[in-house]
Amino acid sequence: MSRSYRSVYIVLCPTTPLYNTDIRVSKVEEYTPRRDPKKIVAVAALAVIVLVAGVAVLNTQLAGRTTLKVYTYGSFMMWGDDPSTIDEVVFGPFEEQYGVDVEIVRLPTDASGVLSRLMAEADNPVADVVIGIDNIQVLQRGSIPIDDVMTETEIADIVFEPYTPADLDLIDQELIDALDPEHRLLPFDFGLVTLVYQQSTINVTTHPELANLTFADLATPGLASALVTENPHESSPGLSFLLTEIAVQEKLVGTDWRQWWSDVKGLIDVQPGWDEAWSVWDSDPSRHLLVSYGTDPAYSSHYLNGSAPDTAVATVYYNGAHYAWMQVEGIGLVKGAPHPDLARAFIDYCLTGAVQAHIALNQWMYPANMHVELPSVYQYALHPDDVELLNSVLTRSDIAADLTGWLSEWDEIMVG
Amino acid sequence: MGGLPGPGTLGRLVPFVLLLAFLVYPVVGAIVRGLVAGPGPSSVETLTSGITLRVFAFSTWQAVLSTVLSVVLGLPGAFLFARLRFHGRGLVRALLIVPFVLPPIVVVVGFIRMFGAYGIVDSVAMVVTGSSTTVVDLATGVVGIVLAHAFYNVPLVILMVSSSLERLDPGLEESAELLGAGTLQRLRHIVLPHILPSVAASAVLTFLFCFMSFPIVLSLGQGRYKTIEVMIYDSFRWFEYGRASTLAVVQVLVTMTLAVLYSRLATADGSATGRTRYARTVALGEVPAVLKALALVYVGVLVLLVAGPVAAVAHAAFYDPVSATYTLDGVTNMFVAGAGGGLLPLVNSVLYATLATLLAVALGIPLAYARRDAGGWGRSLVSMMVLLPLGVSSITIAYGLMMSLAIPLGLTTSPWPLIVIAQTVLGLPFTAKSIGIALDRIDPELLDQADSLGASGLQRLLFVELPLLAPGVLVGAVFAFAMAIGEMSATMFIALPQNYTLAVVIYRDLAVRKFVQAGAASLFLVAACVVSFLVIERLSEESGGGVL
Repeated sequence: MSRSYRSVYIVLCPTTPLYNTDIRVSKVEEYTPRRDPKKIVAVAALAVIVLVAGVAVLNTQLAGRTTLKVYTYGSFMMWGDDPSTIDEVVFGPFEEQYGVDVEIVRLPTDASGVLSRLMAEADNPVADVVIGIDNIQVLQRGSIPIDDVMTETEIADIVFEPYTPADLDLIDQELIDALDPEHRLLPFDFGLVTLVYQQSTINVTTHPELANLTFADLATPGLASALVTENPHESSPGLSFLLTEIAVQEKLVGTDWRQWWSDVKGLIDVQPGWDEAWSVWDSDPSRHLLVSYGTDPAYSSHYLNGSAPDTAVATVYYNGAHYAWMQVEGIGLVKGAPHPDLARAFIDYCLTGAVQAHIALNQWMYPANMHVELPSVYQYALHPDDVELLNSVLTRSDIAADLTGWLSEWDEIMVG
Repeated sequence: MGGLPGPGTLGRLVPFVLLLAFLVYPVVGAIVRGLVAGPGPSSVETLTSGITLRVFAFSTWQAVLSTVLSVVLGLPGAFLFARLRFHGRGLVRALLIVPFVLPPIVVVVGFIRMFGAYGIVDSVAMVVTGSSTTVVDLATGVVGIVLAHAFYNVPLVILMVSSSLERLDPGLEESAELLGAGTLQRLRHIVLPHILPSVAASAVLTFLFCFMSFPIVLSLGQGRYKTIEVMIYDSFRWFEYGRASTLAVVQVLVTMTLAVLYSRLATADGSATGRTRYARTVALGEVPAVLKALALVYVGVLVLLVAGPVAAVAHAAFYDPVSATYTLDGVTNMFVAGAGGGLLPLVNSVLYATLATLLAVALGIPLAYARRDAGGWGRSLVSMMVLLPLGVSSITIAYGLMMSLAIPLGLTTSPWPLIVIAQTVLGLPFTAKSIGIALDRIDPELLDQADSLGASGLQRLLFVELPLLAPGVLVGAVFAFAMAIGEMSATMFIALPQNYTLAVVIYRDLAVRKFVQAGAASLFLVAACVVSFLVIERLSEESGGGVL
């Protein structure tokens, strides 16, 4: 068998394995007609075109009515009994009234990611309205070119257009002041960030200090090694907890806030986000303290069909009073929004009972509209009126000035 | 090598132009903007900060530790895999690729369920020791991080080293045996020198992956441990673009140095190439009992480490931890169209990954030719270009694509082409490499024959060269597909709800405690990957040979 025969064979029958040495000369005589490569190229090209067109069609929404785009984070209003229909229930009436489509764009990220997205799109905005930026994120700073010079300013100034609705008196002035007195963002909902625990695991009988919890208690190895919190760089409850600690230790107790973190380093568990922290808290019986929300007992009761909740809150105690940090989530008009008038009407609508009445059981936050009646399970939730707010201890200007510094110092202590 | 033309010069330039436009330009643009305009700490402030140094040190030593563990655990597997004939080899090979496609958050959940406090391993340990509280927690801190990295990379070492072993000419070993060399001598003088380049190459690749590790460190590190990639992520979140850019540059310098090293090592490996079929193997029955027992223990450890977390994922698809019941809701949700349903993400995942794979192959072929024909530094340059996607922070890529392409081109409302591009770029290193290896094995005489028989250029390419490249193309395509379908960072940053892929949906579902839906989506991801790998294995009898 000469080598050239083998090669001929391979050229003509390319599908045959290369290492087949059993070559019959008769094959060569069955000379198949040469195929036209152009046909194959054409078929391949057609297949790719069909595939690309398919993807394009599947991912392009049919242009129809005017569409109002609302950016928010991934879990917005996703905690109710039927998350799949919630947008239709809550925003359907607005669509009907104005003859438009409302698209709630839940970006697969948290509120901080939404802000990055807005910042990236600042020159050519896509969204009309944004929901979910909170009272700490609104203070973040960034830079933009002003007269070709990069100038540092508040990101809220770059991405939001201030708006004052006629019905602003539906909302408690305290919330407006806590979020943004300049009305770039208006309160949509609010809640307290605090520690929670499962009473079936620990309670005030087994751990009396839970009733009047101090950071000194939380520094003891017993409680510190039971605590799960979230990374302040990556999670808003985590950041709220860092501010809680700074407010209490630095401003109330009057000690260096960094000491507590040094004491508990290696004992506490810091998870990147709330859902990861919740998973640890839920699955690991030795981690029974979680940094979470004051509405958790109401959530727990709701899922126990209204009976007394298993989840309880533990607020921080100092000198005869209980303290907690209040998170206020805002709704804002995007600067340069494609449909500014419609967006303003939408914001007005979002502050009415039509939207606000759905917040308690779907978002598990308190509605900003103070006239909305709360469901009965909220008797178990911790309301801001039940505690002293740390927001007045650590002011907006304190935070704006020191936030990035605090985060760096937190890294200095905790990393490594 | 004059008789090996391949695509023309123009064809070879296309991938470079595309890489420049869709990778280099966006990334360099983002980095330069950050360095020049900030805001946030400047380069000098970042580089002189103690925290940067600590993070750099941690990134390095945990990657070294992870690499050592992966190689130590992977080597016996590579020998077993290359030398032992057993039923279901193809299936095991397909399963080994599974860790590649699992989104890190799924691995984290699987890991905690398997190795964490009160997890499966801990429960067994508690029963054995009679303890009522947790005994071992292998899922947190450095131990957890290193083990999770081993989960990802042991299969990589096994696949790479075993494919090198399969290409060792058994004639060499037989000659040595005839000349009286013992097992140890053969191992030391023939086998080890032969596989050394592949071991080193897999080690470098493992180091690269671990050095840039991001969600694993974020989740298992308890806030105490950060890699440079985590720090870049934090900096972007806080609009400290100055720091993010500086760190991205530091990272690229390290990874590209390694990439050059890797390309040199891989080249050395390719020079000793033989064909897969020659590999010397033994059947299970011929192995002595002691070795069999050792192998069994080893396989047990491997199954625990690699299959354990995957099994935990499968379990999560049917078990709802909130109501503590078994349910099929997750699986049925996969076929629900419309908001919240799994059908669109499933279709998106498959379509994007298919397109990205086709593109990665189409670009990988000319790149492989360019790499082969370039000499010396040109070769290293091509290798660097190809490996760049593995060495650049994925956060930076996503941000760069968004700023430099999506917004100027008005793609933010329909960003699916960018997702496909990002996925293509990620798969390219794998297709280019495996096609390159197949290319080195083509006998130039065959092409001369085709020419002398009067085949046109296109005919020769379609009917001779490409069929000869087919095994390499197919294997590269599998890895590209796996990388594409598991990609999350860029997709997450760019996607709107109509573009969600399964990987993104898993994140979204976990965030709102839809555990079974997340579990089912993970399971589908695993199934899609295993099935496609098995199909490819069938299609290509000669698969598996040196994809990496």
